Amino acid sequence: MTQAKLTTPARLPELAVPPMTPLRRFTMRLTRIADDARFLPALLITPVLLFFIIWNVIPTMWMIGLSFYQYQITMPDTLNFLGIENYTDIIRDRAMWQGLSRTFIWVFFGVGVQTILGMVLGYLFWGSKDMPGRRLALTLLFTPMIVTPVAAGLFFRLIYEPTFGILNWFTKAVFGQELLLLQSPELAFWAVLFVDIWMWTPFMILITLAALASVPKAEMEAAEIDRLSWFDRIRFIILPHSKFVLMLGILLRTIDSFKTLDLVYLMAVPGTTTKLIAVLLREQAFEALNVGWSSALAIILLLTAIAFTSIYLYILNLNSKAKAKETAA
Amino acid sequence: MNSVSKRPSRLIGVALLLLSSLIFSITPALGQDAHPLAGQSIQMSVLGIGGWLPSSLGAQMANDLFVGYAQENYGYDVSFTFTESPFESLFQRAAASLATQSDEFNIIISDSQWLGALATPGWIVDIDELIANGLPDLGIAPQPGLDLELFSDVARSTYQVFPDGSDEIWGLPQEGDVQVLFVRTDIVNNPDEMAAFEAANGFAIPSTFEEWDALTMTQFELIAGHFTRPDQDLYGIAMQHSIVYDFYSMQLYPFMWSLGGQAWDPVTRTMVGVLDTPVNAQAMEWNRRMLNYTPPGALNMGIGENVDAFVQGKVATALQWAAVGLSMVTDENRDVVAIVPPPAFTREDGTIVRIYSMGGQPWVLNAFNPADKMRVAVDFLNWWYLPETQLEFARRGGNPTDAATLNNPEFDSINPWNRAYKFMLQNERAQDFWHEPNYSEMLALQQEVFTAYAAGEYNDALAVLNYVACQQQEILFNNGRTEVAPPDECEDAEPR
Repeated sequence: MTQAKLTTPARLPELAVPPMTPLRRFTMRLTRIADDARFLPALLITPVLLFFIIWNVIPTMWMIGLSFYQYQITMPDTLNFLGIENYTDIIRDRAMWQGLSRTFIWVFFGVGVQTILGMVLGYLFWGSKDMPGRRLALTLLFTPMIVTPVAAGLFFRLIYEPTFGILNWFTKAVFGQELLLLQSPELAFWAVLFVDIWMWTPFMILITLAALASVPKAEMEAAEIDRLSWFDRIRFIILPHSKFVLMLGILLRTIDSFKTLDLVYLMAVPGTTTKLIAVLLREQAFEALNVGWSSALAIILLLTAIAFTSIYLYILNLNSKAKAKETAA
Repeated sequence: MNSVSKRPSRLIGVALLLLSSLIFSITPALGQDAHPLAGQSIQMSVLGIGGWLPSSLGAQMANDLFVGYAQENYGYDVSFTFTESPFESLFQRAAASLATQSDEFNIIISDSQWLGALATPGWIVDIDELIANGLPDLGIAPQPGLDLELFSDVARSTYQVFPDGSDEIWGLPQEGDVQVLFVRTDIVNNPDEMAAFEAANGFAIPSTFEEWDALTMTQFELIAGHFTRPDQDLYGIAMQHSIVYDFYSMQLYPFMWSLGGQAWDPVTRTMVGVLDTPVNAQAMEWNRRMLNYTPPGALNMGIGENVDAFVQGKVATALQWAAVGLSMVTDENRDVVAIVPPPAFTREDGTIVRIYSMGGQPWVLNAFNPADKMRVAVDFLNWWYLPETQLEFARRGGNPTDAATLNNPEFDSINPWNRAYKFMLQNERAQDFWHEPNYSEMLALQQEVFTAYAAGEYNDALAVLNYVACQQQEILFNNGRTEVAPPDECEDAEPR
């Protein structure tokens, strides 16, 4: 038997420990804080919070402050504190109410038609997965949404153009009648709204497709076995599952539609028939350079948009509240 | 021997001659101070109207000609960049920059009506001060050369003066402009058409400048009606009824002014009772009636659409700015276009008057320019008003306003529109309107309501005018621009 020769382990080289300088102490403390589960979430959210404060909170506060002043950039001597006078003036302003009512009509019909069309087309696309060229058709269908409102506005202005526009060429050739859409006080609003519907219906198709993806396959298969009609399938299976996503789409479209400006501005319809509230705001802010008044109007519009959101969220939560009550009972 | 003795004296003579010529050539240079910017390179920035030839022409000439002039005379290198923005957004672009006291744009081609909006906050240089006292803080001497002798007072009041009716000047004319009538003689002066028209209406279609000068709007309406043939895609006149910027107002005011109405009282800055008068209402109705003779879509017609309709031969005549003459008169139509005074109006008292809108733009100087850029800007303006520069500007298609150039015998024949331009650039034939700080707001308001009337959204011209007058009075009053408050009746003013 040979005895194993015991050897003493080689001595490890001494690590050079850096001296504990105040900076090192500070960084170590920071690292400890970062590792601490209590502080980590706060640390992660800080950049976003900073961004939000700098780009949202401060400008909004600034705007709220300005809304209490009479301040016009071209008349610097007229900086006066008015209290709530800008707000009361806006509430008394006939043009504001007219603009607001036009905007509500715009949103109601625009988002309404986009939603109905978007849902119908979305369901059709969803049910035609084997259709040849479906992917290409979808891509083409989404193109209007990608086009900028400026391009879409110009595009349709040319289509509607009475002298060389294709629409008039067609109506003249087929019906022997000119169609002066943008000049007519009765039709101009709807002609511009049509462009908005053309642009944003694809968005609602997309939302519908996303919503339908959340419908469980098993329930659909069960419905098929039970030979449920399409109407019942939509009512009892599809809508309850896709409701949240659909409502989110409608909410996004409503807020966006409420702010419509570029399209209307570019179509340059004579008169006031397409003067939406955002057009009035632009006019006061960037033409009249009436900073105080337009800030007050912007605040009112912001509050209106928040109210919209709240209403939608309330409706969305109604069902879950009812269910919760049922469970509790 | 003689030839040898002559040689040194010849040499001395030549040497003396060389020496004296050297002394003479150096003396003037020694006598004047070198330019403070000599040897430096300066980059200047000009803001002008996008797609508007006279604006770009100014910047183009600066780079083509002033650069060499500055090098030769002042010894510095300069180059100009030209930033463009469309009519309807240029003021906002300038205002946004100037409000932050930026020197982003050293020289701005402003529209005449913006003088008040730019001068009131102190964004632009007071030209009176510059002429009389210079800009001592920046080391710039008085500039008497910028005290211009213009062709007419209306050019001065349009491009230079704010407040209206005062002597204070804030701008210097860059491009003069007036409204003229472009006529397609191949259509209008076709012998068969002329004979048919005369047989039907009892007077002949004008064919000379003088005959057009004598034409009234009532007669012109008959001519426009005669050539309005939708089945042939031909119309009597192209005008500008668009809501964009000032297009509609600019072609409505001539009807008002010529018939004896006013846009406002510039002394008291009163609108109510001045704008909303029966004569102005009559002018509005007449102006709307002209849509019977314009191509379909006329309510969306601006300057560009007007050019297109005329060049394509869709209209027999076009009421258009002289400044776009280069676009209206092309190589194809050059021989069949006449440019004449627009029709006059017969007033109730029987007098025949034509007062059309002034167009054109002044140069203004950014008050926040640093010393070097301000000096170059002043040098540039002094160069711009040299007679040879102004003549060159005219040769390139621009419209100068200085008396020397317009009185030059060569001027009338330089461009086909020059005669009509000069004819209309007279105090009794052209007029501008408010140079107020609230110009944009007042303009946007009336453009909207006036075009609504033109489109048939409203139909009571007097009510429309009363509403606009009340609103504009309120704007002026609320901003301390007038002591005349809107009367109580304005509470009920409503366009209908």
